[in-house]
Amino acid sequence: MLSHSALTPVHVVLHKVQKRIAIVFSILGDWAAFIGAVLILGLGTSWYMIDVGTPLTTIRQGPWIGWTSGGRADADPYTRAHFTRLGSLQLSAENLLTYVAHTDSDGRRLHSSCDYSVEGREPGTNWWSITVFNDRGELIANPAQRYAFTSQTIAIRPDGTFVVTLARDARPGNWLPTGGAGRLALTLTTIDATAPVLVKSGAAPKPLPVIRRIQCR
Amino acid sequence: MTLRDRLGQANWQLILAAPVAAGILHICATLAAPYLTADSAYSRLAPALPVNKMRVLSEITPGSEPLPFLSPDARYALCRFDTSAGPVTVTATLPPDPGWMLAVMSPQGDNIYASASTPGRTTPITLALVPSEEHFLGVTPEARGVERGADPPLALAAKHGIVVIRAPDRGFSYQRDSEASLSAARCSATHF
Repeated sequence: MLSHSALTPVHVVLHKVQKRIAIVFSILGDWAAFIGAVLILGLGTSWYMIDVGTPLTTIRQGPWIGWTSGGRADADPYTRAHFTRLGSLQLSAENLLTYVAHTDSDGRRLHSSCDYSVEGREPGTNWWSITVFNDRGELIANPAQRYAFTSQTIAIRPDGTFVVTLARDARPGNWLPTGGAGRLALTLTTIDATAPVLVKSGAAPKPLPVIRRIQCR
Repeated sequence: MTLRDRLGQANWQLILAAPVAAGILHICATLAAPYLTADSAYSRLAPALPVNKMRVLSEITPGSEPLPFLSPDARYALCRFDTSAGPVTVTATLPPDPGWMLAVMSPQGDNIYASASTPGRTTPITLALVPSEEHFLGVTPEARGVERGADPPLALAAKHGIVVIRAPDRGFSYQRDSEASLSAARCSATHF
């Protein structure tokens, strides 16, 4: 430690500079924390609500997610941003509702290395279809040229249920080839002109098909 | 240093301002998101479509999908309309089969009009797309001394957008029927 007599003007200046740097760092630290918190909270919540959705904007049943205001003139900003970013054609959810599933009913990511059964009962709408895509929304090329089943092309069991098998190799019945697409996305489109397909009245939603993993390679 | 000291030294102004600033950023980011992408459905489709003319898209196959997640469960007829030079008339008849739809989509993706087919009866649709609701639609048939043949067209205010007609895939046997119905739809500029 220096005594008063040993303090030179240089030491005094250095001490002042040191103190000022400490103050600046203290202020900068507060501001850095503030900016970081604002960015994470503001952008993070915006991304989540646009990309993933919440019960305010989506209807969820098992692995199926449908955006309830898609294509509507009174759509909320999250739905509007979701479909604009996705770049998909969105017809009014008052008549047409598309559910998307990226996982099976146990929450595991759909992948072409596994076989799946999609089992359910007709959704009770005028018309419906099931289509398999890769996770970029592209069709999966296959020699059978089979990409979708509709309520008019699917084989229904006598009890009104159906099974669609997603598999790389041919399967009997309603088979949708998945090739080597990697991650998969399954869409279920329902159209109804007579009654809105949206479930906003509080009535229990019709059960959607269950997606079960059969086996993986 | 105790917790009390630390709390006493904390910059409470910044701590309280953070959620407010985050909320403002959240709203700005959400509202700006649609404008920060160049790949909306409209911007992908519009360059390939003639103006004020209905075009039936070819079957959707792998590698030729015009949009992501566009299923081959349907065939589509599209008309990119531009009403800046005058009204555009759209006529179509949805067959009495389930799954048919006609929608007028704005560049932002909103359906300003949508109608689905009703099983058991055909659904004739006539729309007059005008740049604004006050636009002159021409003299009525009665004023021209002509008998009104059908219901007046439904006027919709829209400067730009795409009319989408969706025909469901009913299997190979019905493909020609579906294509004929799509080809019969009309979209044209109206001249007085």
